Amino acid sequence: MKRFMMGLAHVFALIGGAALSAMILIVCLSIIGRTGATIMHSDFMQTYASGFATWSLEAGLGPVNGDYEIVEALMAFAIFAFIPLTQATSGHATVDILTNALPPVVQRWLAALIEVVFAITLVIIAWKLYDGTVSKHRSGGTTLLLQFPLWWAYAGALVGAVASAIVAVYMGVVRVVEAITDTVIVEAGGGADH
Amino acid sequence: MTPLEIGLWSFPVLMALIFMRVPIGLAMFLAGFVGLSLLPGGLNVALAKLKTESYTTFSSYSLSIVPMFLLMGYFATLGGMSQALFKAAESWLGHRKGGVAMAAIGACAGFGSICGSSLATAATMSRVALPELRRYGYAGGFSTATLAAGGTLGILIPPSVVLVIYAILTEQNIAKLFLAAFIPGLLAALGYVITISIYVRLNPGSAGVREPVPYAERFRALVDVWPVLLVFASVVGGIYLGVFTPTEGAAVGALGTGIIALVNGGLTIKTLLESFTATARSTAMIFFIVLGAGTYNSFLARTNVPQELSNWVVAQGFAPIVVLIIILVFYLVMGCLMDSLSMILLTIPIFYPAISAMDWGSMTIEEVSIWFGIIVLIVVEVGLITPPVGMNLFIINAMEKTTPMSETYKAVMYFVASDIVRVIILVAFPSITLFLL
Repeated sequence: MKRFMMGLAHVFALIGGAALSAMILIVCLSIIGRTGATIMHSDFMQTYASGFATWSLEAGLGPVNGDYEIVEALMAFAIFAFIPLTQATSGHATVDILTNALPPVVQRWLAALIEVVFAITLVIIAWKLYDGTVSKHRSGGTTLLLQFPLWWAYAGALVGAVASAIVAVYMGVVRVVEAITDTVIVEAGGGADH
Repeated sequence: MTPLEIGLWSFPVLMALIFMRVPIGLAMFLAGFVGLSLLPGGLNVALAKLKTESYTTFSSYSLSIVPMFLLMGYFATLGGMSQALFKAAESWLGHRKGGVAMAAIGACAGFGSICGSSLATAATMSRVALPELRRYGYAGGFSTATLAAGGTLGILIPPSVVLVIYAILTEQNIAKLFLAAFIPGLLAALGYVITISIYVRLNPGSAGVREPVPYAERFRALVDVWPVLLVFASVVGGIYLGVFTPTEGAAVGALGTGIIALVNGGLTIKTLLESFTATARSTAMIFFIVLGAGTYNSFLARTNVPQELSNWVVAQGFAPIVVLIIILVFYLVMGCLMDSLSMILLTIPIFYPAISAMDWGSMTIEEVSIWFGIIVLIVVEVGLITPPVGMNLFIINAMEKTTPMSETYKAVMYFVASDIVRVIILVAFPSITLFLL
């Protein structure tokens, strides 16, 4: 079970990383296309190499159409895909200066309670995102330039949101079991950062 | 309870949650979500808002800068740029009194110009510089404190992730904020170098001596720094000159450092995947805080608290500078307990309306916003190197286990003093921050 959940979290992080790389490449391609188009439109090219300039512009040299929209859709997907790993490795920012003074038993139960609340929160977020996806599907809205249905982007994000909720529920159960049995099943940091 | 009272009560509840070790993003999300459910409209409004809230928060073109800069920082580490920077700085400065420590600061400043995060700068430069500092007989606490302070340059010298967040929160121009951070960033590096030279004079024996390096070798080391200059010039220069948007600059930087790392042999499938998981962890942490802060701030806005607070502050007729100093002291204290990004996301929507509503004489609102942003950035960064929870100190002490934390604490106070002097100078003379604009 632990191996499956950690594996799931890692796979999603890597897919998110691939989406991030895709964003970077699309943005860079867009810059190259835009710069190229500016050069081809310049007086110099139009005068001395007008055939080549016209050909390249007609072949589609220019910024990537709708790069902005693609980046936005990929961002939502990537961020939700990144959450499971942070969940599985307890990577969220906390202030532990006061709780460190508490007895270990209290600390364990507090950690369990917080992890359970976190799981409920992520389940609600995924559930509401599902509702959002359904209503975008029904309303049939599309993006401005590329005209792809907005619900596709929502559905992509939903995949990561569901994975986050699954891992969060698992972590909630783990912390409760740890509190009851006084053992460590998944150590914070998860040994995943190296 | 009136909405205003609910809004006011949410502060102590939120603080209590955070101090009970509830993750900061989750605490803000809960306070905002529950608060919203208590307002007219109730739970249904809060739930309905959530249908689009998470998607619209995460699918932000301008925030895509954050993971891009983070990935760029990991690639820069893999590309051996930290070694090249340290070697160059060390060959020029190493023979001076405390010179190797000064070189570490210089290298941190250089690395900060291609990395947007303090922790990454501190961790990366420590890996390179700590062994060298110890080899030349620099005291343990002095070495770790130097690198912890140097790490804060990562976020001050543009590009900077926190400044991006501040720009988005206050609707300021990212390029102008980066430009404004430049001189204060150099002042910080200079201040740390002066601090080092004072420290080694007050504490003889804390630093060893090192033979000067021949000039031919110095210039050769300097030449090796070209990838850093190239990346910095194209990313930050391109953003300043308006050649590309900040997001485009970040993408160019990430691709550029990735290619350099690939050419240098640092980037393999294995390290690429590691960069992805490391980026994933930091990104998800940051964006969950962004989501929580968004939820909490939209709840607060509905209770009218920021507006009322700002009206109240202005009505009291306090001198603006007094209000500013109170806010800075608050940040200094809170910075000892909380990370900088959470603090900015939590407090800027509350403080900023008051600051921008006050009369700052001849300064325009834009100038006030930029100046305030830079000063707040510096003050919250001080928290990274102050006990008890200075994150930079922890990261470095984890790498240098032979040095007790108390030694680091003692030495780092000199750098904190330098930070405070710099803040006072920047508050007294806004033109230092603003004259490049």
